[in-house]
Amino acid sequence: VQQARDFDVVIVGAGVLGAAVAARLSGTDARVCVLEAETDVAEHASKGNAGVAVSYYGAPDTQQTRLINASSPGWELLCRRLDVPFRRLGGLMIALTPDEADRLGPTRDEALGCGVRAELLSAAEAFAVEPLISPDCLAAIHLPQEGVIDPLRLTVAYARLAVRNGVRLRLGKRVVAIEPESGQQSTVITDRGRLRTRFVVNAAGVGAARISALAGGEPITSWPRKGQYVVLDRSFGERLRSIVFSTHTPDTKGSNVVPTTHGSVLLGPTAHDHDDADDRATDPATIDVILANARKLVPATASAQPIKTFAANRPAGDEAHRLRIDARNPRLVHVTDRSAGVSISPAAAELVLELLRKAGLDAADRPDAADSLPAVPRLRTAEDPTALTTLDPLYGQVVCACEQVSAAEIQRAFDEPVPATSMDGVRKRTGAGYGRCQGSLCLAGISFLTGMGTHTGPGSVRQTARGTVGS
Amino acid sequence: VTAPYLVVGAGASGLGCAAALAQRHPVELVERIPVAGGEAGWRTAEIQALRVAAESRGVRLRLGCAALRWQPGRLLIAGPGRIEWIAGSTLFFAGGLRPGTAAELGLSGDRPAGVLPATVALHLLDSGARLWSRVAIVGNGPWAGQLAAAVQATGGRAVSVCRSRGSRPWADACVDQARGFEVVGRDRVRALRVDTPTGVQELGCDAVLLAGSPQPVRNVTGALDQDDDAVTFVQSLDGRSVAERARLGREAATTWLRQNGETR
Repeated sequence: VQQARDFDVVIVGAGVLGAAVAARLSGTDARVCVLEAETDVAEHASKGNAGVAVSYYGAPDTQQTRLINASSPGWELLCRRLDVPFRRLGGLMIALTPDEADRLGPTRDEALGCGVRAELLSAAEAFAVEPLISPDCLAAIHLPQEGVIDPLRLTVAYARLAVRNGVRLRLGKRVVAIEPESGQQSTVITDRGRLRTRFVVNAAGVGAARISALAGGEPITSWPRKGQYVVLDRSFGERLRSIVFSTHTPDTKGSNVVPTTHGSVLLGPTAHDHDDADDRATDPATIDVILANARKLVPATASAQPIKTFAANRPAGDEAHRLRIDARNPRLVHVTDRSAGVSISPAAAELVLELLRKAGLDAADRPDAADSLPAVPRLRTAEDPTALTTLDPLYGQVVCACEQVSAAEIQRAFDEPVPATSMDGVRKRTGAGYGRCQGSLCLAGISFLTGMGTHTGPGSVRQTARGTVGS
Repeated sequence: VTAPYLVVGAGASGLGCAAALAQRHPVELVERIPVAGGEAGWRTAEIQALRVAAESRGVRLRLGCAALRWQPGRLLIAGPGRIEWIAGSTLFFAGGLRPGTAAELGLSGDRPAGVLPATVALHLLDSGARLWSRVAIVGNGPWAGQLAAAVQATGGRAVSVCRSRGSRPWADACVDQARGFEVVGRDRVRALRVDTPTGVQELGCDAVLLAGSPQPVRNVTGALDQDDDAVTFVQSLDGRSVAERARLGREAATTWLRQNGETR
């Protein structure tokens, strides 16, 4: 029988919230382990989302709004420290009907009530901000603090910082049982081993209800909400300056047109409640709806080339945001959010640490802990790319020509902490394969480099977190 | 010193274009891989003759250099150990062709492992390893037949699925007049569901290989789509033979020279 390891905190789930909590706890002397069922971090909702770091999402005086408020001003600094792409582009919420225009006032008041900058604009003023919005625009709200972020790089960076500071990250380990022991301990049993811990942080996203039940926690009613997305080519992305939102209705936040940090444009998400968290299929009817909605907001999207469609499930449920000590198990802390996980992540991590301390965790901040990661220069965005080959001659070896990713960057994806485990993992960390040709030119090279990096051959190299190239 | 004309892509089109331009002006030809020839490969006498013709007219070849960014008057290129801006007044782009993507083909459904562009599958099968036993090849682009042969050579079976009708003798089986394609499989692909006039067919398979109609590769920042006096897209979608593509490249060059008053 294997000796169970002792930890102070086990975090279940390495999505953006679990990874953020791990990064924050890694700055203390607590002994922390992260368990993730998938073979990479940032799968599921943290992989498939709009990549918006919102400044305003909902009603004032909620914990979620407080966390967004606390997180939003810090993105530039945090992203510089963690080497994550971020741009504060600002957003325009536009009204296309008199009915929508009527709702703008109350929405603006709500945003102001949240302490967020929000300005009502006439149609002419809105066009000055973003000339590509629909000529049917009657009025708009400008939200200058909205930003776009690379949610994959953010999650990987949180996880890297955590690992750099000594957190154990266990990938491909699904929690199957959590057993209370005598004293203050629980044993967390995975499909591949067991470990002992004092506290459990439930950051399992769509799996949060199952983890709470295993831990003897409060009942959580939740279900996967599938969102589908369309990615438009960067030749259109070069023209779009702002995030464009439809006017919120009481039921939905509607659809978005989002310039990504990669230069492409993301449309979506849709919202479809169902019961199969592994169903990430797209369908042509929904894709047509996304394209039609985008054309209403930004007509020029009609001429843009869709380069990719995808879907992901976010955790919907009886509570869209749950961050608290469990009502039944005082050593279980929940941290899930249906749609704002990225946007609350820095402050949510801080609050989770506070709650753990309140629950009895003795964790002192460690002055020697790292709070930043070494930046990897990127060929595509480097100010002076000609200087890069002196750092590493492999910068001259372009692997992904569309996104201009070099062999040097791909090599780093395997050498850094939390290395890529699949071709998809390389894409998450470097952007290779994201572009307009979707890997037609580069995936052979990337599969070769992934085979080298993960010590396997062409058939058994992982294309995604779950599947290999060969059968 | 006159800034040269820059041609990107040393396949048949780019070689033809560069040779024609070089009769009037200094030309530099930038090629991503370390040999000339592109799709056609570097070994054939035909390609070698095109290369000799270009070089004998003074075309300077920069092999193993990827073109990255175009700004008026200069192009950023990257090669092993060296990234540099090179001067050029005009960019002619002949970056080759690629198969249509899943989005361009209209694939929906799951996004599992085992769905790959034809060009990638061809590279992977080059090793001779048996990767798949039953593949669905979607589309009838120029890669499809070659790909089927490579799958068959490793002991696999290739089913061809197309929106159109037509003879594809290289396939082990054909599905015609497809109206939609749905990938099935959560972790790895296990089937392709094809919507046809006679109903939905579910083809069991362990790979879906995308071999749609050829699309021009265009990936230089600053010259993604716009065709103007400074940027000309030479790559033609027509031209199945090396000679034909070289001729189309020459024609694109002479047309440009005529329109820009460079004829004698």
